[in-house]
This record gives sequence, C-alpha cells and structure tokens, in this order.
Amino acid sequence: MNFFYKVGEYFMLISRTFQKPTKASIIRGQILKEMDSLGLGSFGIITIISVFIGAVITIQTSSNIDSALIPAYTVGFTARQSMILEFSPTIIALILAGKVGSNITSEIGTMRVTEQIDAIEIMGINSASFLIMPKITAAMFINPFLVIWSMFIGMFGGYLVSYFTGIVSIQDYIYGLQYDFDMFSVQYALVKTVFFAFIITSIPAYFGYNVKGGALEVGKASTQGVVASSIVILIVNYLLTQMLLI
Amino acid sequence: MIELKNISKSFGDLKVIDDISVTYEKGKTNLIIGASGSGKSVLTKCTVGLIEPDSGSVLYSGEDFTTMNTNQRKQIRKEIGMLFQGGALFDSMTVAENVMFPLKMHSEMSASEMSDRVDECLERVNLKDAHLKYPSEISGGMQKRVGIARAIALKPKYLFCDEPNSGLDPATSILIDNLIKEITIENQITTVVITHDMNSVMEIGDKVIFIYKGKKFWEGSKDNIFNTEVKELADLVFASNLMKSIRNKN
Repeated sequence: MNFFYKVGEYFMLISRTFQKPTKASIIRGQILKEMDSLGLGSFGIITIISVFIGAVITIQTSSNIDSALIPAYTVGFTARQSMILEFSPTIIALILAGKVGSNITSEIGTMRVTEQIDAIEIMGINSASFLIMPKITAAMFINPFLVIWSMFIGMFGGYLVSYFTGIVSIQDYIYGLQYDFDMFSVQYALVKTVFFAFIITSIPAYFGYNVKGGALEVGKASTQGVVASSIVILIVNYLLTQMLLI
Repeated sequence: MIELKNISKSFGDLKVIDDISVTYEKGKTNLIIGASGSGKSVLTKCTVGLIEPDSGSVLYSGEDFTTMNTNQRKQIRKEIGMLFQGGALFDSMTVAENVMFPLKMHSEMSASEMSDRVDECLERVNLKDAHLKYPSEISGGMQKRVGIARAIALKPKYLFCDEPNSGLDPATSILIDNLIKEITIENQITTVVITHDMNSVMEIGDKVIFIYKGKKFWEGSKDNIFNTEVKELADLVFASNLMKSIRNKN
C-alpha cells in the first residue's frame, strides 16, 4: 500500500511541477542555471568514464577474438555499437542518477527541513514548479548533448588504445566504426536519454521534496532517490528497448 | 484583521487543534504562547494554509481563505510576510537577493526600484552593509533581521513570526521584538508572533493567546498576565524562579 501511495504522491507532485509557473522569465533563468549545474557540471566525469570504457571495450573485444574468420574491424564495430546502444545512454544515466540524483535530493531535502520550501509557498509561489521544473527541463535538454559527447569520446578512447597498443590497426578500427552504421541506433539512444533525464531528476526531486525530519532523513532520502531512480531506469530501459528495437 | 473560526486539526487519532476561535487585530502584535507541542505552530500553519484544517474557517479581512481556489490564495499570500524560526533564507542567494526574491516574483518594479526597496528594507532592520553576504556568513540575529526584511519587502498586510527569538541572546531578542513592534505600528500590519519567550510577552504582547493541549485556554493582554488565576498559564509564564520572584514582588 505504501508503494502505491508513494507512486500516487509522485504523480501528484509531477502534475504540480508542470503547472503554469509564477513568473516565466525567472524560470527561464533557473533552467539555464540548472543546465550549467546539472549538465556542464557532469561533463568532466562523463568524459573520463567514457574514454576509459571505450578503451576497455576495445581491448576486451580484441582479446576475445581468436578466430581468423572474424574480421579485425569487428573491434571498432563492437566499440561503436556498445557505446551508442547501451553504455552512453544507459550507464551514463545510472552514473548521473548517483551524481545528479543525490545532489537534487539533498538540495531540495535540505530546503524542506530548513523551511525554505515553506517560505516559497508562503510567498504564493508554486514551490514544485519553481524548484523541480527547471531541473527536469534542463536535464532533458542538456543530457542528449552529454550522451552524444560520451559516444564520441568513448570511440575515441578505443582509437587511442588501438593507436598506442596496436591491438587492432587504426584503419580496421575506423572501418569498424563506420561499418553498417544505422542512424536509428543514435535516435534510439537519444530517446532513451530523454526518458532517463526525466527519471534521474524527477524521482530524486520527489524524495527530497517529501523528506520529513532533519539531516539524517535527508541522507536516507538521498540514498532512496538514487536507488529508486536506478531501478526505474533499468525497467524503462528494458521497455523502451523492446518497444523500439523489436 | 484575521479571524479564525472553530479551527480543528487532527493527525491520525491525535487532535492537535481543538475548536479554536480567535481574532488577530490589525496594528497590534498578537502573541500565541504555549508549551512545546501545544499546537501553536500547527495553528499558525493552518492560518497561512501550509496545513489544511479539518474544519473551521480562516478569514483574512473577511474573506474565507479555506474555501479559496489556488489563484485566490496566491493573491492573499502576496499580502503575507512570514519570518521562520530558523530564518529559512535561501542558502544559494546573497542577503540582497533573498530580500529581492519576493519583489522579483510578484512586483512589476524595475531593477533599480527593486534595488532601492531592498536597500530600504535592509536599512529598516539595521543591516546596511550585508547585501553581498550569504546567509552562512552572518550571525543568527542577522539572519532573523534579513528574514524580517524579506517578509516586509512586499509591504504585507499580515506578518507571521515563528519564534523570532529562538537561539538569540537576550539583547538581540529585545532588538528583534522592538523591530517587529515598530514595523507593526508603522505599517498597521496584523502581526502574529509565536513565542516561548516571556520577555517578548511582556515587551510586545498587545494581545496574548494561550494555547494549552490544542485548545485556546486564555486570551488577554500582557498587563493581565501578571494577575492571572489560570494555573496552566501561570505555570508556563512563571516557570522560572526569576519570574516567580517578580510576580511575588508585585
């Protein structure tokens, strides 16, 4: 029963979040600020993780190909497909669920326990719209760019490994990257990214917005927000994959 | 003027507010006193709509707040200023930005007009040089004063103060009390102060409402408190030896 109560409460919060904002010009400024904080603030970690994962996929694929019947360009092909189809949209979303999600829950949760949200409400401002809507909108807009960057930099990681170790020739690796490329796989990844951006901002925001108590409860809510959004990402990933690829 | 008529509120089986009716008068500091857990904060949250009462009505200048739709409530809330116990200043904003926030959200003022109003409000609370400081960089007393400045920025008709003196030294407490009193008289605001502080009761209590176990137990002015025969009120007000000795001397 508690689960259904929370789901209902979540959807009620979302409906409040997307009501007409008190002052649109202020919200536009907030969205830009959140793009900087949630999106550009994650640029560094996404770059580091993607370049290393791209490199590791390249090494693992190369070391597991022991048949002469499998062409060498398979390494580049596998690196590309892994990055585009799953790593960049889904694993990056899970990483951001931890980084961005915990940040959102603790920020909004602290505002709740220190009565800052009450202060916003008392001023006649829709606090859900003011605090949560800019975060969701900013993430849904900026995350696709982060994911495209992750795809590119991941494949570049594989290129670097090929160049410095010679486990596969640069020509074969690049040919593999280009081989049988279907633009739909990028579109599929971006559709997933937009859904995941909604999840990794709205669910932690819900946990922060409804926190009761003090610092301990904010910490617990932060963990719950990350766990819940990670699970929802995995479920939605499965459903979208089945809907879009089968 | 704010009128509360037969307000009741329960959480589960626990009745926190039991049929309270009270009138907060314009141009006066109306104090709500009571022991911890007596229902003072819940009553105030019911008054400003942060908690919905189970029954009863709240009338702001004769208009029933409890039956208003969201937009109508928004209009009333523009006329409400509130000082929270912990200040509730926005951590991410400077002092000036905190005071400017309600102006940005609700007024049609130009940037320079808003800036002038911020200066005026901060000057009124004796904080001329704190514009660029963040809440974490100023003392508790200063935070309370910024909270007052933010609460009066839109020139409210109603001002609510939740334990404005908690955590402050006696001298700063008196400063805050006097500030609230002066602002109330100057702007003819209906001010409601929740307090535990008996110094405040004696300093600024134009009208005092005593809440005991969720019920309104007593109502009067600060002058009547000294001679009260109500045991529950006397136990609260004269709990300390100092207050007992003052009472006995009188």
